[in-house]
Amino acid sequence: MNPVTGERAADRGVGFALEFEGLSYRYAGSDSVTLDRIDLSVQPGEFIVLAGGSGSGKTSLLRAGCGLIPHFHGGELAGTALVAGRPVTENGPGELADVVGYVAQDPETQIVSTTVAAELDLPLRFRGDHPAQRARAVEEVALALGIPHLLPRTVTTLSGGELQRVALAVALVTRPPLILLDEPTSQLDPVSGDELIWLLRRLNEEWGVAVVMAEHRLERCLAAADRVVAMDSGRIGFDGSPRDFLGWAISERPELATPSALMFAGAGIEPLPVGVRDAREILRRRKIGVGPDSGSASIYPPERRVNQPTSGDGSGSRPRGTVALESKRLWVELDPGDGPVDVLRGIDLRVRAGEKVALMGRNGAGKSTLLRAAAGLVEPVSGRVETPGKVALLTQNPGDFLVRERIGDELPGEEGRAALEAVGLNLSADRDPRDLSGGERQRLALAIALAGRTEGSGLPGLVCLDEPTRGMDRGLKANLTELADRLAARGAAVIISTHDVEFAVTFADRVVLLGDGEIVADADTRTVLSGGWYFSSETARVLDHPGVVSVDQGIELLEARE
Amino acid sequence: MKKLSPIAYVPRRETLQSASLAPVALYLGAYLLVCFFSSDPLVLVAATAGAALAGYGCGAGRAVGFSLRLGGFLALTMIIVNALVTNRGATVLARLGDWPILGQVEITAEAIAAGAVIGLRVIGTMVVIGVWSACVDPDRILQAVHGVARRSALTATLISRLVPLAATDYARIGEAAELRGPAAAPVGRGAMAHRLLAGSLDRAVDVAATLEMRGYGRSGGTAGFHRARSRFDRRFWLAGTVLVSLALLELVLGSDRFVTYPEISWSIGFEAPLAALAFLVGGFATWRPRVRGGRA
Repeated sequence: MNPVTGERAADRGVGFALEFEGLSYRYAGSDSVTLDRIDLSVQPGEFIVLAGGSGSGKTSLLRAGCGLIPHFHGGELAGTALVAGRPVTENGPGELADVVGYVAQDPETQIVSTTVAAELDLPLRFRGDHPAQRARAVEEVALALGIPHLLPRTVTTLSGGELQRVALAVALVTRPPLILLDEPTSQLDPVSGDELIWLLRRLNEEWGVAVVMAEHRLERCLAAADRVVAMDSGRIGFDGSPRDFLGWAISERPELATPSALMFAGAGIEPLPVGVRDAREILRRRKIGVGPDSGSASIYPPERRVNQPTSGDGSGSRPRGTVALESKRLWVELDPGDGPVDVLRGIDLRVRAGEKVALMGRNGAGKSTLLRAAAGLVEPVSGRVETPGKVALLTQNPGDFLVRERIGDELPGEEGRAALEAVGLNLSADRDPRDLSGGERQRLALAIALAGRTEGSGLPGLVCLDEPTRGMDRGLKANLTELADRLAARGAAVIISTHDVEFAVTFADRVVLLGDGEIVADADTRTVLSGGWYFSSETARVLDHPGVVSVDQGIELLEARE
Repeated sequence: MKKLSPIAYVPRRETLQSASLAPVALYLGAYLLVCFFSSDPLVLVAATAGAALAGYGCGAGRAVGFSLRLGGFLALTMIIVNALVTNRGATVLARLGDWPILGQVEITAEAIAAGAVIGLRVIGTMVVIGVWSACVDPDRILQAVHGVARRSALTATLISRLVPLAATDYARIGEAAELRGPAAAPVGRGAMAHRLLAGSLDRAVDVAATLEMRGYGRSGGTAGFHRARSRFDRRFWLAGTVLVSLALLELVLGSDRFVTYPEISWSIGFEAPLAALAFLVGGFATWRPRVRGGRA
């Protein structure tokens, strides 16, 4: 229910907030259908999570729900699509703006005004609201989303998390009964991501806003959902409760199942848990002790406690190779335009050949700057960073590396082919990089960064990837893990900055956690990712057992405890 | 950490930022007009300096510096290209022989001078655009134009939003070009421009979709598009009117003052230094005395 007007969508005389009947859609110029006979209805006040792999049709479904399809993207639409009872074919996005809000994946392209206040004001102006009404609506939505302090800020100074909140506020400012979100947490750190999910749940409960949210990291949002709809090749593969979804996913699409569900299924524990709290409750009911003091001694003793004095390289008892990166009291200062700011504060770090390191931390903690310093893109104001071998850095947008229309033009000659081979790509030189899948584009960009930097075993000493998992489904992340393994096995040190804890569990053997430009934890993966609230895997949060972070480790522990 | 584009708009309590759109457009439009059309080097240099002073006066020093650097690079390119491709002019400085495609290449003082005039125009135009971009709130453009010319408002909004985004993209793509391995094909300016253009088109589509989602295309009104007048408006109306008049006079009277072909001839009368002085001094219109001990 809207706290100001007391109005609910149902009171407006509409049935479903969103209704698709036999909806099919084909993008202009495409040979195949993107949406195939979709039947879906969303009740007012429902919270629906839209699951599915990359390219399964989630984004297109959301676009059809706000009128961008077909009015903006063209193409052929068949069947019925109603938003609050209004046919989408007869009402464009502008006409639907007061009954549906849409938040796309990249918040940077969704902001068109200069200041946050002007951005929130814009849809109300277009609607022709009176200035007094507008002022109140802006104030209230800013309070609801906890961003009143951002109102006078220029949008160019906002962090990714702040931008995402502003985009959400803009979608809500006209108080639509339905909001559609396309992977809203993909660019957020675990803290901001969790905050956003529960903010949506609160708005859903208090304002009665129906929420349809596409998301890859289901472990984050399943507990907040009333219902899950899973897309599969343009069709709805599953539509039901979160618990039933997990059962379906375990048997049909294991890559969509959450870590805790996989762990319970592997250990033969039922029912499957919807979130951490549910998992712990199920274990408690089954009298399976969790936590560090319950049951037998740890089966995975941590190699070293976080923040304990170390040799300074964080490598524990692992075999020591040659040093690929060493920084000593590294200070980096950047000027975002309004004066210099310390971004890295005295970083001491040593990474050796063959190590796989996950670099984690909040948005703005200094992860990208550390990688850029390693690649020589930024100069330290104090201290030093040394990379005895060559360095390859893949920045956050692989598309920035792809400037030509043929792969062969990007990577000519034998060395080009060798670089493609190094990343496991076997593509025709005539293919257009823009036609490649997201994972292939990323590999190609990495091959471009590696080309000609090959050393002894065929690779640079250090390979850095800056947040490569954004918007990736689990299959693509598995490919990335395999690539990192391959690079490390051939002697490169691999550092990947990521917000994705579950990915870090599968990829890394060491985690460096940054906080406000300083290293706050540096140890093996099992130690770092089992010792906190936010930067912990779901398995670790369920079992709360030192050193147990992965699904397999969790299954082993549960079987030992049962 | 995000780095602000040097030409991105930053709200400040300065004169250009506070004034209404129309007088600011008139004032900066005068500089744009003269920088675009004048062929007198003295006037062009003075107008560029005046526009730079205007930018410095309202806190847009970074935008001015960036525009000068970019404009300077483009100007140098134009001088070189013009010198190589134009064989006109009586004063031959060097004969470079027969070149593929270009044929017989002779470097003449006249061709260099003609390229330099074009270069000066580019530098001046870049500085004016940089000051506009850094000092004029794009929201005001949208508000001002939306009611009267919806399509123009959309174009204006897209441009004002895309300029900083394109600058960010340019920096990112440039950085990625630096990170390419030595065996990857190098990224020339042509490939970079092509990629930037393609990216800008994608960006434009995204921004247009967002505007559509905000209800931009609705037939409903735009009630309350209103901005209080500023105490600086009169200053810019006055300065703008004078400078636009001078710019128009300069276009009419000064078109053949500086001639490059077949020989360089520059007849400096009294009107060119006067116009130059006016455009230089006009740059101080954005400046204001700082009040010591005053409260915000």
